[in-house]
Amino acid sequence: MTPALELDAISKVYPLAEEDFYALREVSFDVPVGEYVALMGPSGSGKSTLMNLIGLLDTPTEGRALLAGQDAGDLDPEEQAAMRNRHVGFVFQSFHLLPRLSVRENVEVPLTYAGYRPGVRRRRALEVLERVGLGDRVDHRPSQLSGGQRQRVAIARALAMNPSLLLADEPTGNLDSETGLEILALFDELHAQGATIVMVTHEPDVAERCERVLRLRDGRLESDSAGRAAPVVA
Amino acid sequence: MTRAATLGAADADPAGDDAAASVADWFALEEPTGTTDTRAIVGIAWRSIRGNASRSLLTALGVIIGVAAVVALTAVGAGVTQNVTSNLERLGTNLLTIGATVTRSSTGIVRTESSAGITVGDAELLRSLQWVDGRILGIAPSVTSNLQVRAGGLNTTAQVLGTWPDYAPIRDLEVGAGAWWTDVDVESRARVAVLGHEIAQELFPGMDPLGQSLTVGTHTFTVVGVLPDKGAGFGSPNRQIIVPLSTYLQRLARSQVAGGTSAQSVNQIFVRATEAGHLSALQTDVMLLLANERGEFDLEALGFQVQNQADTLESLTAVSRTLTLFLGAIAGISLLVGGIGIMNIMLVSVTERTREIGIRKALGARPADIRLQFLVEAVVLAAGGGLLGLAVGAAGARFVSPMLGVTSALTVAPMAVAFGVALFVGVVFGLYPAQRAARLDPVASLRHE
Repeated sequence: MTPALELDAISKVYPLAEEDFYALREVSFDVPVGEYVALMGPSGSGKSTLMNLIGLLDTPTEGRALLAGQDAGDLDPEEQAAMRNRHVGFVFQSFHLLPRLSVRENVEVPLTYAGYRPGVRRRRALEVLERVGLGDRVDHRPSQLSGGQRQRVAIARALAMNPSLLLADEPTGNLDSETGLEILALFDELHAQGATIVMVTHEPDVAERCERVLRLRDGRLESDSAGRAAPVVA
Repeated sequence: MTRAATLGAADADPAGDDAAASVADWFALEEPTGTTDTRAIVGIAWRSIRGNASRSLLTALGVIIGVAAVVALTAVGAGVTQNVTSNLERLGTNLLTIGATVTRSSTGIVRTESSAGITVGDAELLRSLQWVDGRILGIAPSVTSNLQVRAGGLNTTAQVLGTWPDYAPIRDLEVGAGAWWTDVDVESRARVAVLGHEIAQELFPGMDPLGQSLTVGTHTFTVVGVLPDKGAGFGSPNRQIIVPLSTYLQRLARSQVAGGTSAQSVNQIFVRATEAGHLSALQTDVMLLLANERGEFDLEALGFQVQNQADTLESLTAVSRTLTLFLGAIAGISLLVGGIGIMNIMLVSVTERTREIGIRKALGARPADIRLQFLVEAVVLAAGGGLLGLAVGAAGARFVSPMLGVTSALTVAPMAVAFGVALFVGVVFGLYPAQRAARLDPVASLRHE
């Protein structure tokens, strides 16, 4: 079947005065539907650049990135935004909730841009908030929630559109270790229920929970190995 | 289609079947329309305006003031026009005025010849015409000046007007108390006066002015009549003191001319026709008579003209229309400045909300959605400012103009134009900040603090 994500020799080049700087150099890998992948690497390795390319926030200089079999490279910014809306669910390290909106309204944001009517948005938002265990906090403001609860809101928001790919950037980076473990447990559950997840992390014990660990160094894919949670191949 | 493909593919995969099915179960989402709910975007913009209520009000202040200024100033302008018009119409349509030539240049600026060159002799000539011409109802020359008047311990300035008794029927000025002075008084140069309503109240507060004395310059006059209140405004007799022409010329005129009374010049001569239908013919006859008297048939060189009421009305409305347009244009400039104010704050707002823009873009907002959000915000600010401005302007015109002693008339057209311009200004000055917001790079925006 079509992988959730296919990267075909993508490079990201920033032209500098002296010589071009390769943030990424010919990185290729696939992520099949339902896989749970950790993306590791020291800072400056190209992790963030790669994440932005996968999330269609940026476009590669060379190569192709396919989300659910679709190439975003040929699309104009409007179509790219629509594709991001449909296929990518972001979970950021610093949550990135909109402070003026209630929890439910925050979750409704991607549904709004997809064109759902208010009734559908509300029902869907309540459904995913229930799913992440925040059914009783829907009318709170983000500022009234703990860090762990805020990250749950962000996860609910990422799930709202049932995206092809959940893209989590250090989702436990701003949380204490106990809360962090709860969030990771939630990701494990989502994975068990079929979600495709790419998680950027620099913590080895976080990466160990994944099926597969990709390591980047100096813009190149250094290694691609099975994690502890990898299914045993018969 | 892509969602269907993803779910379909998942279904077709036997290994992932159970897991994928469970995802699809809680995410039983119908196909989205794919186009953003515009009402939701308007809602976002509206919440941002309400969330910063005081700032929004300050942002819109320029537009509020601009629209209010347009509305108030044009209302006052229209009021003045109406006032002038109704005052002139009250004089009747069958009136000829012989006065200094009024020329209007292409810019609408009025010039009056300094000397009309019309004299008491001209009025006397016309009176002799009246005896043989049944079309003339009355003749009255008039000469005026603003003079200091005193009565008792009180002291004020009034417009003193010297004329003939026909002035009363010509201008429809019946006395409210007392009686008009007569031809006998003109003959004897009697020092008698008819007072306008306001002057009478001012000089003789709480008493009957009839029979009282008042001093004009160094001459004492006796009050024989008082006019009723004729309302304020252009040409109102409320602040006039009307005395016999002969008395005026002998006692009050600044300079005495050799050759007797007939050679004395006057400001205007009023000729009232018996009916409006005679007016045009009478206008020509009067002009010819006076030209013939002078042996000067180049009408331009005469230095005076015979105007009928319609001409006067037309030139006065043209003047006030030009004035109204000027006021409107000045107010329009302030509206433009108001628009620039909105643009300024919107640009600041885009910078402040860079992170929000980044988040929205990461969640799938199209550039067009962001553009619409900020454009709607600017337009709502301009429209709200416009509505408030209409209210403030209307209130200002209604309550403030009486304090300034002018009347005002609210008319729909300038209000509609001012509001329309405010909206237009909102769109024009909202576009640039909105475009800036739409083009922000999502990656950089997300990092923005």
